[in-house]
Amino acid sequence: MRAITFLLACCFSLLVFAQNDAIFEQANAMYNNGKYTSAIDKYESILKSEVHSAALYFNLGNANYKLNNIAPSIYYYEKALQLSPKDKDIANNLAFAKNMTIDAIDNVPEVGFSRIIKNIVNSFNTDTWANIAIGGVLLFVLLFLMYHFSYRTSKKRIAFIISVLSLLIGCFSVAMAFQKDRLNKKDNPAIVFAQESRVKVDPNKTSEEVFRLHEGTKVQVLDTYEDWKKIQLSDNATGWIPSKDIKLLKLF
Amino acid sequence: MKFTKHISILFLILATSIASAQVKFEAKVSKKKLGINERLRIDFKMNQDGDNFSPPSFKDFTVVGGPNTSLSNSWSNGKRSYSKTYSYFLAPKKRGNFTIKQATIEIKGETYKTFPITVNVTAAVDRPNGPPDASDIASERMHLIAEVSKASPYLNEAITVIYKLYVAPEIGVSGWHEKDSPRYNDFWSQNIEIKGLNQQKGLYKGEEYRYVVLRKTVLYPQKIGKLKIEPLVLDITVEIPSGRADIFGRPIMTKIPKTVTAGSRTIDVKALPEQGKPSDFKGAVGDFQFNVTASKTQLDATESLQAKIEVSGKGNLKLFELPTLSTPSSLEVYEPEHSENVRTNLSGMQGRISDTYTIVPQYRGKYPIPTISFSYFDLNTESYKRITSNEIIIDVLKGPTAAVNTSANTAVNSKQLVRPNSNAFAFIKTSSNWSGIKNQPFFKSTNFWTLLLLPFLLIPLVIIFRRQRDKRDADVQGNRIRRADRLAKKYLGEAKKALGQKEAFYEALERALHNYLKAKLNIETSDFNKTKIESLLEERQVENNVVKDFISILENCELARYTPITQVTMQNDYEKAAKTISLIDKQLR
Repeated sequence: MRAITFLLACCFSLLVFAQNDAIFEQANAMYNNGKYTSAIDKYESILKSEVHSAALYFNLGNANYKLNNIAPSIYYYEKALQLSPKDKDIANNLAFAKNMTIDAIDNVPEVGFSRIIKNIVNSFNTDTWANIAIGGVLLFVLLFLMYHFSYRTSKKRIAFIISVLSLLIGCFSVAMAFQKDRLNKKDNPAIVFAQESRVKVDPNKTSEEVFRLHEGTKVQVLDTYEDWKKIQLSDNATGWIPSKDIKLLKLF
Repeated sequence: MKFTKHISILFLILATSIASAQVKFEAKVSKKKLGINERLRIDFKMNQDGDNFSPPSFKDFTVVGGPNTSLSNSWSNGKRSYSKTYSYFLAPKKRGNFTIKQATIEIKGETYKTFPITVNVTAAVDRPNGPPDASDIASERMHLIAEVSKASPYLNEAITVIYKLYVAPEIGVSGWHEKDSPRYNDFWSQNIEIKGLNQQKGLYKGEEYRYVVLRKTVLYPQKIGKLKIEPLVLDITVEIPSGRADIFGRPIMTKIPKTVTAGSRTIDVKALPEQGKPSDFKGAVGDFQFNVTASKTQLDATESLQAKIEVSGKGNLKLFELPTLSTPSSLEVYEPEHSENVRTNLSGMQGRISDTYTIVPQYRGKYPIPTISFSYFDLNTESYKRITSNEIIIDVLKGPTAAVNTSANTAVNSKQLVRPNSNAFAFIKTSSNWSGIKNQPFFKSTNFWTLLLLPFLLIPLVIIFRRQRDKRDADVQGNRIRRADRLAKKYLGEAKKALGQKEAFYEALERALHNYLKAKLNIETSDFNKTKIESLLEERQVENNVVKDFISILENCELARYTPITQVTMQNDYEKAAKTISLIDKQLR
């Protein structure tokens, strides 16, 4: 019974995918003919079927860029980069879109040991780290048994060394997966959608203004209070912004 | 008829008597402020005759003359007016403030008192007790007036102050200069040049005067509340007819210098209404147009373009800041050049002010210059108005692109450094591999933990299994039993199930034995008889007694169909069959 439902679900999803492919092609054709608004509508109808891909977000970003919608184009490029962080086209067009933004914010670079660790952690995503860990553990178990049951000394020695190594790799990967998971949880970026937004010291309207942000700027959300979000810029400046002025890149 | 006449007369008399009954007794001084070398006259006046007048003690003054008594008694229209005055001429003894105390009088038996009067004695004056001279005439017949267009303007609303000098026809002015120009604190002010003084005729307090406009000033109040305009002070040489004539009959004029001032005026400045005040309001009040223009919208990188923010119209043009241009940070923008072209006339400032920004794009791409809004307070409708410019998009056609941040670290966002390359804006992707938006993460799922930890459990399990197997391999006797069990289970399983039901059991047993032989000896069912079995088993070097046992079980099977068999026999037969099979299996070669 369970297998049948699973199969049905698979078939259904395949059907949906095929349908989406057709819509995607239509939208691409519209884009190429300069009908960007209708192309955006089509692309977004695909998103409504709870299916996404880096290419879809990239095309949405392109169409919005052509219509000079600063914030949506940056938003979709960032979404696309989340799904495929190493795509050169996305990074390139994101740079074009970022040219349209008004705010110039300094970037406080991370230095030293923490940067090295971060780079290592960021080299794979959480699930890949998890898979590596499982692979390492399986290899360790196989080789350990081999070591345990084999009689030849040389064989025993090699099996032991490799098994210990793979155990270490497994443990390391688990640690990295946890670290990456923690980083992912902490990383909660958002894009400013309001044309101009006043960032306040405290989460209320009467409070003093710290700085102003303009459309398309990327911020990190640290905290939420009522209708306000505490944000941090890349130069570590913080403040409270009305929730409606920004759009979170991760949707919960 | 006569009666009514009498009554009316009576009333009349009564009324007059009531009127005359109102006793007045008061003191009057000729001046309340006098120089020490001047004299003062004090009159005590009553409207009914009294007795026992006692003047106050003039202890700070010397009585120069008096008391002089004057009496007037007149009848007009049947009404009597009576007054009696006691006058004293006093000379002050020293400077200071002095009080002349009460005088008392008895009128018709009652005592009346005057109010005390305070007199200020100052330093000596030049011309004590002189007759009204030329300067008095001048001050009476010449007036400097400040006319203010609006007494309670809004903050930053233009008002004008016009100074006019009114001169009576009989006196002349031979020259003037400003002694003290007014300073307009808390105002932005601008004088309007007056070319030549035009003499005009006008009325001042109902009398005909000549006047000239001396000065026109436009003021923009910069503060709310009551603001004071300091007076203008002029030194004027006045010609006044002396009343004499020369031998030709022309009046002789006396020239005297005279200082005139326009009184200080207070202006009540209203604050602009708070209600509906736009957030981008920067104090512009008047009637304006607002424009943002770019000199070009399509150009190559490193070429320059001018963006101009311009406000034109009527109002306090010089007194507010223009909205600033916010541009994408990747454009190079220089400090704006400010230019003003404003004329000021009586109705205020008019013209245009503008900021011109020079913009040099560095990279290819599109740069939107966002809309700029400008708000002002419209005095005609007394409301705020906002003008929003259109968005301008600057399209940079040729040039290097901004370098791409290739590092995959999405946690870092930055404006990229310049790295010239010829990357163009990439085209859309034509194919897509879909995935569900809500896919569960593998990490920390149950599957993940199971797959991660189960292999460790595998180690002891495998080791224990291996140990068991080795132990079992070493145990020969046990092995044999187990093999027999296995064989019995394999072939006699059905029989065992039928244990207890005679017919079924023996049928199953027979079939099981046949099947066993078929499997072991490769014989067909057709040539299946006991002798054949015997010979075949012996061929395979199975011991004689075992063969016999086997045959006997087969015989039992046939026999059992016709004879009553007990449960115990069935059990015995079953065990025997199992044992025999295992023995055959072992001995079979």
